Amino acid sequence: MKAYKKEVQFTIWMTAAFILVGNVGLVFSIFPVDAMLLGFPVMYIVPILMGWFGVFFLTIVAGKIGNRIDDEIDSENDALGVSDEVKDV
Amino acid sequence: MMETENWQLSNPILGLAVVGATFLLFYIVGFVSNRKSSSAKDLYTGGGNVGAFTNGLAMAATYMSLATFLGITALILQLQVPFIMLWIQLILAIPLITIIYGTSLRRMGAFSPTHFIRDRYGVTASIIAALFMILVSIMYALGQMIGIAITFETLLGIPYLTGLFVFGIIIVGYITIGGMAGATNNAAIQMVIIALMFILPLGAIMKAVGATGWYFPPLFYSDMVPAMLESLPTFFDYQFSPKWYFSIIPALTIGALGLPHLAMRVYTASNLKSARSAMVWFAFILGLVFSATYAMGFVGVYATATQGLVISDGDADKLTIILNLVYNPEWVTALVIAGAISAGLSTLSGNLLAIGALISQDIIATLKPNIPQRLSLRIGFIAIFAGGLVSILLAIQPPAFLVVSILWAFGLAGVTNAPLIIVGVWWKEANKFGAIAASVVGGAIYIIVSPFVFPSIVLTGHGVTDGMGLSGAMLAVPISFILLIVVSYITNRMPGLQSKLTKQSDIELIERIHGWKDIKSYRYNSTVGAGITVVVSAAVAIWALMPWGM
Repeated sequence: MKAYKKEVQFTIWMTAAFILVGNVGLVFSIFPVDAMLLGFPVMYIVPILMGWFGVFFLTIVAGKIGNRIDDEIDSENDALGVSDEVKDV
Repeated sequence: MMETENWQLSNPILGLAVVGATFLLFYIVGFVSNRKSSSAKDLYTGGGNVGAFTNGLAMAATYMSLATFLGITALILQLQVPFIMLWIQLILAIPLITIIYGTSLRRMGAFSPTHFIRDRYGVTASIIAALFMILVSIMYALGQMIGIAITFETLLGIPYLTGLFVFGIIIVGYITIGGMAGATNNAAIQMVIIALMFILPLGAIMKAVGATGWYFPPLFYSDMVPAMLESLPTFFDYQFSPKWYFSIIPALTIGALGLPHLAMRVYTASNLKSARSAMVWFAFILGLVFSATYAMGFVGVYATATQGLVISDGDADKLTIILNLVYNPEWVTALVIAGAISAGLSTLSGNLLAIGALISQDIIATLKPNIPQRLSLRIGFIAIFAGGLVSILLAIQPPAFLVVSILWAFGLAGVTNAPLIIVGVWWKEANKFGAIAASVVGGAIYIIVSPFVFPSIVLTGHGVTDGMGLSGAMLAVPISFILLIVVSYITNRMPGLQSKLTKQSDIELIERIHGWKDIKSYRYNSTVGAGITVVVSAAVAIWALMPWGM
């Protein structure tokens, strides 16, 4: 039960986080900001930076958590006492 | 097309030599890699044994089409910042595919999304999905064909139509005969070529127009901002309402989840951990090249606004090449052209390969499982060639911008395939009646409200917004989700239909692809989750029907 809940929650929250980080332009279209950052308008450069480094950072987090959840599913499977090991290739 | 100035290489031999050398490189890599692959499964998944870095590069190359070189910059010239905001989220494709369903389908051993749909929903649904996928792949290939013809137009100064037919057929023939070999290694090499031949020349262009940050083109061009604001104060304006920015999510973010040639890259990973590492490399490389294309678009607008460069509407798709012709030596432009053709080639071979697999494996082999292997392979080759030919014929009367047809294809994939895969992986109740209803009705609505079939039936009347499928997908994607969930829920409770459903094997499939060895009724069975999806989808669909004010 625990690993299942984690898997579902991870997928929902991670998907939401990716969509948010990739669509900062949508946020600024609702809440405009009139400021400059690194010589660019904030509403221009922040979506670009988030769409690169923000997404890059999230892929690292998603990879780590995804691997851990796989391990937890495996260990719950093992706890079942199923004898025939079917590890994913 | 309006011709204010004739943009072309004065020394076409140089360009042809560079393009020829690139083709030779791909052919050698293909030949060497091909000696290792022996079965059809090897052909489509690279033997399921590709390293994370190579795979990440290959994912990026397959994804980055000619649009990166030609299309994006053209629409930045036209739409300016809103188009950059639209493009940024395309980087989400592989990460979202990986976490939402890629690892599950990899665990299942599927080698295409249609393969999953057939196992999950049965033959009829999978054939409908395959037919829509063929249309998606052809529209996608169409964008590449237009780009290839434009590139050769600039390279040799020959008319668009001649370039389209001569080089279109040469390239389709090349892909049919040799392009299937070593596709992953080639795609990885193409990615390196694309990155180098886009970013280095951009640095030289920036230096020529006086930007001090030329040594890192993707981000260091802020010293050009004051001059840009002075001569074109509206460049950074968002122009459109939040609704427009929201519509990007159903059309392109969800749309990318249904693209067949993209998802196939996740299955080439040697294991799940490697697939997850590949997504990290993908995000890093794609972010780099995407940021460079925004810079290229920015420099293009800057050059037209402050440097007196004149680019007619008809030449907009050539912006990247024109900037190189103006500011760089000819041999650099020749390299850029070779890079553009590599970008088109990797995507086009991905598209045509997908068409070949869809027709020979997902349709003909599904209907007639007993046809001989040799005939099946031959049908695959014919399908690849025919798909290329159709995209050439469609490119005779191209849409105004080559990116438009590509982005429209995203929406169609989002309507007809993405809901089937996403809901199919996460909800046991989804069944074939829901899947067929979602795909057919959703797809029909999307096509009807597109400007291509009935130009008077559109949602916004804003040409590019309708043409890119933003408005159509905002209506049709949620309708597709609603139909899939509601029709499945009702038909599962109709006693007369029980004999036609395969509930037990569906349940076993879903548990297995998530990694479980046992079956628990509480897993992947949430009526509340399905209900919330229906309510949210309904709200989005109603919002799409309300006036857009454009």
